[in-house]
Formats: sequence, structure tokens, C-alpha cells
Amino acid sequence: MRAALAVMEKDLRLAWRDRAGWLTAVSFAAISVLIYSFALDLAAREVRPLLPGLLWVTFLFAGIVSSGASFQTEGERGTLDAQLLAPVARTALYAGKLLANLLALLVVEVATLGLATILFDESLLTLELGGIVLLGTVGYVSLVTVLATLGSRVRARAVLMPVLALPLLVPLLIAAVRATGGALGEPTGDAPWLLLLAVFAVWAAAGSALLFPLAVER
Amino acid sequence: MTALGALAWGWAGRGYALRWAVLPPVVGVAMFALLVGAVLAAPREVVEGEVQRIFYIHVPSAIAAYLAFGITFLASAVLLWRRDMRWDAVARSSAMVGVLFTGFTLTTGMIWGKPIWGVWWTWDARLTSTLILFLLYAGYLLARQLADETDEQAARFAAVFAIVAFIDIPIINMSVRWWRTLHPQPIVFDPFGEQALPGSMLLVLAIGMVAIGALALWLIVLRAEAEGLTQRAIGLRQGIDRREAR
Repeated sequence: MRAALAVMEKDLRLAWRDRAGWLTAVSFAAISVLIYSFALDLAAREVRPLLPGLLWVTFLFAGIVSSGASFQTEGERGTLDAQLLAPVARTALYAGKLLANLLALLVVEVATLGLATILFDESLLTLELGGIVLLGTVGYVSLVTVLATLGSRVRARAVLMPVLALPLLVPLLIAAVRATGGALGEPTGDAPWLLLLAVFAVWAAAGSALLFPLAVER
Repeated sequence: MTALGALAWGWAGRGYALRWAVLPPVVGVAMFALLVGAVLAAPREVVEGEVQRIFYIHVPSAIAAYLAFGITFLASAVLLWRRDMRWDAVARSSAMVGVLFTGFTLTTGMIWGKPIWGVWWTWDARLTSTLILFLLYAGYLLARQLADETDEQAARFAAVFAIVAFIDIPIINMSVRWWRTLHPQPIVFDPFGEQALPGSMLLVLAIGMVAIGALALWLIVLRAEAEGLTQRAIGLRQGIDRREAR
């Protein structure tokens, strides 16, 4: 547990020092929201039915971009190998990485929600939406953190990440979009979307924690 | 228990030794029987007409694809456990064959869908999840292909991805089913429903399963052995290089 917190602290401190990487994710999210507004002409039509999809696509892409970054620098500096040599459980290492990614992304997501609140005049910073976003983020960050270990020897890594991650995340996307729609008062069918979201988060977190040690083993 | 395991292993080994004697003739004969059965022998379907005959390759292809992905899953688990790169060759080969047959399933489905549903594609649950399956394993092949054949790190990563993907399939299916639905419900294996498919159609379908299942297996074995030989060739070349460098 202490090892996990140490890894998390290290990752967050690095992210804080290298603000460029982190600000890139925030600006990426902000730009996406703007681009969707132009592409779907959100100024002229009712925003509410489209808003959940727009938000979650932005979250997913921002998450995939920023979660890959920490492993990228570790790979370049060879620090991941050093951490693997440390006498701590690999699962603790994974938990630390996961927590750091999770916190960084939640900041990006809250910023995006704030921006969308201002732009579209919908109150998005509610407790219910916060819960849905947290649950969904736990689900996708756990999977993406494992996928981000993709060896640096693999070429075209940046393009490959979304190609690998997005098909896996289809259930999460569907459930999260429907649950968010429900929270905004849209009709969403009678399927238990929140339950699906929770099941996905649990399986993704547990499965990734078990598989991470196998993925980084040399 | 060990004796029983050794016996089973011995039987499996003896069966595998017969692969070239068994698989090609079985595929040849069953394929021929399938063609004759599907085109000539099976009765004309009353509502759908001749197009229905595509069903005899469509359904077996889908099942063969699932079997191939199952083999990828098992081989990936064994690779992580045993650290033997031959299992990477097996996993990769069966994923390749699985992607091939998933593509075949999607294509034959579209050819059937155009006259019957009036469209090539609809966002039905079964169609959508098959497409996602195709994309998942195409991604797996890409990730594995972009690294060397003998790269153990990349092989381990691909194996982890294959395991995650396989476990994710039921969740994908469930989520997409809640999202949309239209595909004809399976009537062949429904034990409680009345037997909707006449016996002659069922027979042709069974022949199709044998033919396409054996074809998939043959392709997987061929591909896996070719991959294994490539790995050995690379290993030998590295050995020669090292000796020359000395």
C-alpha cells in the first residue's frame, strides 16, 4: 500500500513538474468539445441528447492520450525496469500508476464538465453525474493502464493504443453514455446501465491488477 | 491422476501426429459434401428462397471463428504460464484464422442481409458484436505484427490483451444486446422450442460444421507450424551471427 502511494506520488509529482503533458490533455479535451460543437452544429439545435456521447468520447480519447504518456517517458528513461527491480509487489506498482492516472484524468474531466456547463447552459457538475463519471473512469483507466505497458519496441504505439483500447471499451461507452443521458433526464431504455458500468469497473480493475504483473514481467 | 494425464497427453500427441493424414482429406470430402448438400440437396426455403443457402456456410464460419478465438485464449494463457514461444505461434495463428472467418461471417451475412432485410448492414446486437470481435482481434494481430516474431515482451503483452479481449466478449455482447436487436434468433440449438429446422437442413448444417471446422483447424495447424519454423530460423541465424562475431 505504501509502495503504491509512493509510485502515485512520484507520478503525480512528475506530471506536475512537466505541466506541458498534463495541460495538453486539458486543452485536448477543451478543443474536442469545441470541435464537436462546430461539427454537430450544437449552437442551433438541442444539445442535451448529444451531450453524453460528446462528453464520453472526449473523456476516452483524453484518457488514452494521457495514460500512455507516463509509460512512454518511463520507457525512454528506463525507469520502469528500475521500479520492477524494487522489492515490492507488482500489483502495488500497478495500483500506484492507476491512482495517478485516475486523479490526473478526474481533474481533466471536471474541467471538461465545467467548460460544457458554461458553453451549453446545462448543470453538469452534480453529485449524480460525478458518481457516473468516477465509476466509468475507474473502468477505463484500469484497462488503459495495462494496455499502456505495450513495449516501446512496438512501432506506431501512439496509434495502436486507441485501436486496441476502444473495442474493449465499447460496453463501458454504451453504459456510461446511457447512464449520463439518464442523469440528464433523457429516455434511456430500461436496461440497468449503472449496474453494467459498475460490473465493467470491477472486472476491469480486478482483471488488470491480476494481469499487469504478467504483462511487465521480463 | 498423473497416469491419466500422461495417457491423455499421449493420445493427444498421437492424434496430432496424424494431422496431415486426417485433416486434408476430411476437409476435401466434407467441403464437397457441403457444396452438394447446400446447393442441390437441401430443400428450397419457402420464404427466403435460394439466398437462405448461404446459411450453411455463415453459421459454421461464425462457430469456427469462436473456436479459433478460444484457442487463442488458451494458447495465450499457456504462453504466460509456461513461457514457451511456440504457444505464441499457436495464439497468433488461431487469431489470424479467427479474424479470417469472422470476416467471412460478416461478408456472407451482408450478402444475405441485402435481399432479406433490404440493407447490407443494420445496428443489430449480433452484427455489432461480431464487428467489434473482428476489430478486437485485428488489433491484436496488428500489435503482435508490429514487433519481431521472437520478441518475448511483445508476445506477453499480446497474450495479456488476448485474455482481456476474450473475457470482454460476453460483456460486449450483453451491452450491445441491451443497446439494439433484430438478427434471427438461433433456432437450431434451442432445446425447448419445437424443432423448427427440417432434418435435411440440419444434416447439411452438420456437414458444414465439420467441413469448415476442419478447414479452420487445418489452417491454424499450418500457420502455427510455419510460425514455429520462422522462430527457429531466426534463432538459428542469431546463433550463427553470435558465433561469427566471436
